[in-house]
Amino acid sequence: MSDQAVVTIDTVGEFLVHALELEEASSDHYEELADSMEIHNNLQVAELFRKLAGYSRQHAKEVQDRTEGMDLPKLTPWDFKWKCPSSPESFCMEEASYMMTTTQAMKIALFNEIRGRDFYLQVAENTANEEVKKIASEMAEEEGWHVEMLREWQTSLAEEKPLEDLDPPNMPE
Amino acid sequence: MPVPARKAKDYKSDIKPVWCPGCGHFAVLAALTKAMAHLGLVKENVAVVSGIGCSSRLPAYIDSYGFHGIHGRALAAASGLKAARPDLTVIVAGGDGDGFSIGGNHFLHACRRNMDMTYIVMDNEVYGMTKGQASPTTRPTWCNSKMTPHGTGIPSFNPAAIALAAGAGFIARGYSGEPSELTRLLVEAMQHPGFSFVQVLSGCVTFRPDQRGWKELVHPFINDLPTEDRVKAAQIIQADDGKATGVIYATEFPVWQPENRTETELSELEEEFYL
Amino acid sequence: MNNNSQASASGESFSVAITGSGGSGAVTAGRILLEAAAHCGFQGLMTRSAGPQIRGGESAAMVRFSPDPVECMGDEYDLLVALDWLNIERFADEIPLSNKSLILCDPAAGEVPALLRSNGAEIREVPFKVFASGLPEGRLNMVALGAAAVVCGLELSAMEASVRQVLQGKGKQVVETALRALGLGYNHDRRPRITIPSPGRQDNRWSITGNQACGLGALRGGVRFVAAYPITPASEILEWLAPRLEKLGGSLLQAEDELASINMIIGASFGGVPSLTATSGPGLSLMVEGLGLALVSETPVTVVNVMRGGPSTGIPTKSEQSDLNIALYGLHGDAPHLVLAPLSIRDAVFTTQWAVQLAEHLQTVSLVLSDQSLGQSQAIIESPLPCERSLQRAVERSPGGDYRRYQVTPDDISAMALPGTPGGMYTADGLEHNTRGTPSSMAADHREQLNKRLRKLEKYDFGDDWAEVEGDGEQCIVTWGSSTGVVREAARRLRQQRGEVRVIALRLLAPLRQRQLRQALEGMRKILVVEQNHGAQLFHYLHAQGALPPSAQSLAQPGPLPLRPGRILRALEEPFLYNTPEQETDHAGSRTQGKRL
Repeated sequence: MSDQAVVTIDTVGEFLVHALELEEASSDHYEELADSMEIHNNLQVAELFRKLAGYSRQHAKEVQDRTEGMDLPKLTPWDFKWKCPSSPESFCMEEASYMMTTTQAMKIALFNEIRGRDFYLQVAENTANEEVKKIASEMAEEEGWHVEMLREWQTSLAEEKPLEDLDPPNMPE
Repeated sequence: MPVPARKAKDYKSDIKPVWCPGCGHFAVLAALTKAMAHLGLVKENVAVVSGIGCSSRLPAYIDSYGFHGIHGRALAAASGLKAARPDLTVIVAGGDGDGFSIGGNHFLHACRRNMDMTYIVMDNEVYGMTKGQASPTTRPTWCNSKMTPHGTGIPSFNPAAIALAAGAGFIARGYSGEPSELTRLLVEAMQHPGFSFVQVLSGCVTFRPDQRGWKELVHPFINDLPTEDRVKAAQIIQADDGKATGVIYATEFPVWQPENRTETELSELEEEFYL
Repeated sequence: MNNNSQASASGESFSVAITGSGGSGAVTAGRILLEAAAHCGFQGLMTRSAGPQIRGGESAAMVRFSPDPVECMGDEYDLLVALDWLNIERFADEIPLSNKSLILCDPAAGEVPALLRSNGAEIREVPFKVFASGLPEGRLNMVALGAAAVVCGLELSAMEASVRQVLQGKGKQVVETALRALGLGYNHDRRPRITIPSPGRQDNRWSITGNQACGLGALRGGVRFVAAYPITPASEILEWLAPRLEKLGGSLLQAEDELASINMIIGASFGGVPSLTATSGPGLSLMVEGLGLALVSETPVTVVNVMRGGPSTGIPTKSEQSDLNIALYGLHGDAPHLVLAPLSIRDAVFTTQWAVQLAEHLQTVSLVLSDQSLGQSQAIIESPLPCERSLQRAVERSPGGDYRRYQVTPDDISAMALPGTPGGMYTADGLEHNTRGTPSSMAADHREQLNKRLRKLEKYDFGDDWAEVEGDGEQCIVTWGSSTGVVREAARRLRQQRGEVRVIALRLLAPLRQRQLRQALEGMRKILVVEQNHGAQLFHYLHAQGALPPSAQSLAQPGPLPLRPGRILRALEEPFLYNTPEQETDHAGSRTQGKRL
């Protein structure tokens, strides 16, 4: 984690390493959530997370393609210039719960996607490297569409009743 | 020539965790595999040993040799394994109940014995697998368990203080909500020669939903750390609110490890019995 | 009283008890006497009796020697050497005397207690103290030893050689003084009590304790890692092993408790190193959960349990065969495993080695039930034969793409991949699992793995070593472990007096070889099951297994007093009745009973 207020990334290699980590972590994170929702029989939310994982995987592949033939710098896991404690699209793990509704899951997803977009925006704003600015802006735009899509999706969802656990674990009354 | 795996994901097995969605242990698993990838560990030369509890399920989720033993005895099994097989990287994982209650004695003596291994305790201040009872690190006034309806009424266990008093040479605290930092702590712990202890605040969303609030409470140590000074470390630990993260104490003590070197044949030893 | 060639009270053997207050040197004197007998070509046995104090209280050494193997103490003692009379009442009933016995004592120590005089033993007085105080730093135990040597018919030169050997670490001055004291005692009264012809110097004789024998068996079996917690009467196994393991490329780890020691050896064995721990009843109780883990994860381990009086803290310094039940039944769940018991000190080498190798080969738990009477006794024996059998753990060195740690195979033994082996990675687990080792609560997996763990034991051919069967006739004594020595002696006497008897000494208690046992019992009209515990544990086990006819009788006597051959002979003479009520028959607490119908 970096304490810097402003994220500056000035080489294409460094930027792509960040982008790749962001998208891969995001995809892993959604997969993990989908798996555990499946294990806990919350299939609707599992499906949502599975879908989101697919998007991130697609993004990761696109970044991967851009890195073709490039000699990328090696970063240790704690040298990434995130402004938050983990990569931007994988935060808020503890907000998940096996009882969560699609609406709640969507909220988490939206929060993550906005942070992803903002990361790319900030890089584009602050970099001194034109090439980095160009790629970061493209990615920010893409993430922006993503955010919009999620927002539309969210508003189209009917208001849900909170899920009920008819056989709760030994929760204190 | 064994080749280390490249990515954290390569260190994960194909078994899906039984943990609840939102459980902090997912982040610990991720941080651990990242640390393993960073250190370039050869998978088959790693053994992850655990006891019983939610967090103790971890060995099965790592693609290495694993030993999921009985409640409280992970450190003992790991110590035997390391004594017999010093060539292995031994990682021990478990929870607060496993490590500090039923396994408390082994914790003390593993700290003293200082064998080269890393002990990760995922501390959520509750027994999750048995559905929500108070653990040694639960605060005395927590009344949400049916088993202790008035709270335990006894002060909670301070793992870092006990580890220091028992002679551990590396003591750190991390938080599952800060996986990058946690990865760094785990890497440093594994690089430390001797016994390294990492307490990870890893919340239980099911039985301690209040722990979602940890992200507001956790903060880095403000002191100049790590220290090699045991007295200073003791002062910091005693003054601490239990939510500060970082490596607190790092000193190298002699590592206990049998040499396992053959000097003679058994038939020679048998000579002693002849009259 | 006649001198020379009088038959000793216990047949072709001589039994000596040396008693004194703790610290008076009774045990050292006993060791010197035993080794002197060994120099003359005798075999022998020395047991000790002591209170729980580190020093003080009472202390006694009981030595018996004979041209033949000595595997138990006799019915009574030929000679009692009393260094003093302090606390004598505490072990008077461990040292039965008769009118054929002789008491050697110092008039300065006071009168012979009435308790001992009443049996009509002859008394010979020697001024131990006067002789000893005539020498600088003179010790009265050495004077007494000299006098005892005359009574035993052992030559002075053999005694001197033994003194030099036993005391060599104490310095020249001590040895010289001891030799002079020995000579004074020897020359005071030269009337021998008995002379058993000395067999003359023998080669291939060993001097070894039962605990050392278990340790050696462990090393022969391939054990290279031991973790253990000190406990009476097992500690000597650990003390003997620690430096020797180091020389052999292994190690011993002193654990924080028995919970740790069992789990440590499981960890080491998971790493591929044959591992063992040694303990006694209280420690075994703590280890039981760990045994289940080893068994279910199919991680081989061996536990030597040196039994003492139980339950709870019981009588830590005295022997009893009362841990059979916990060894057989102590584990929760369906947990088939191996239980073995050495039949003598000499046999402890073989049995422990076999137990380790069986555990390795069958990837299971092996329990070896030794006891205090074997463990802490010193024996002069013929050197044990090297074990020819060589069983090893099946190790998977090049696992294929679909390695399954718990694969069901024709012999139900599945090769184990060791950490460090590429492609063999699995998680060993105390949870029930499928063939890959993945936790499973499915009925089919549970049944399959239960079957695997049972059948690998059932299918294995244990050969003829499950028991030692000797003798013919129509009456039979069934016994196990350390009681074998005394049963064999009773049988020998019975054969000399009036005919045949068969002895079946069980070495492998679980899995019980039912078919072989039933065969060995065929045609027996009278069957007596002999063991040293209060609950007749073997008797009930054999009945539960359907291995005994209803007419079989039990002789069960708890510790701390040893079973004596005469008691067994008496039990055989008692009428055998169905459904006999339990009878309290003597001061040792032995009970005979039949099956309650």
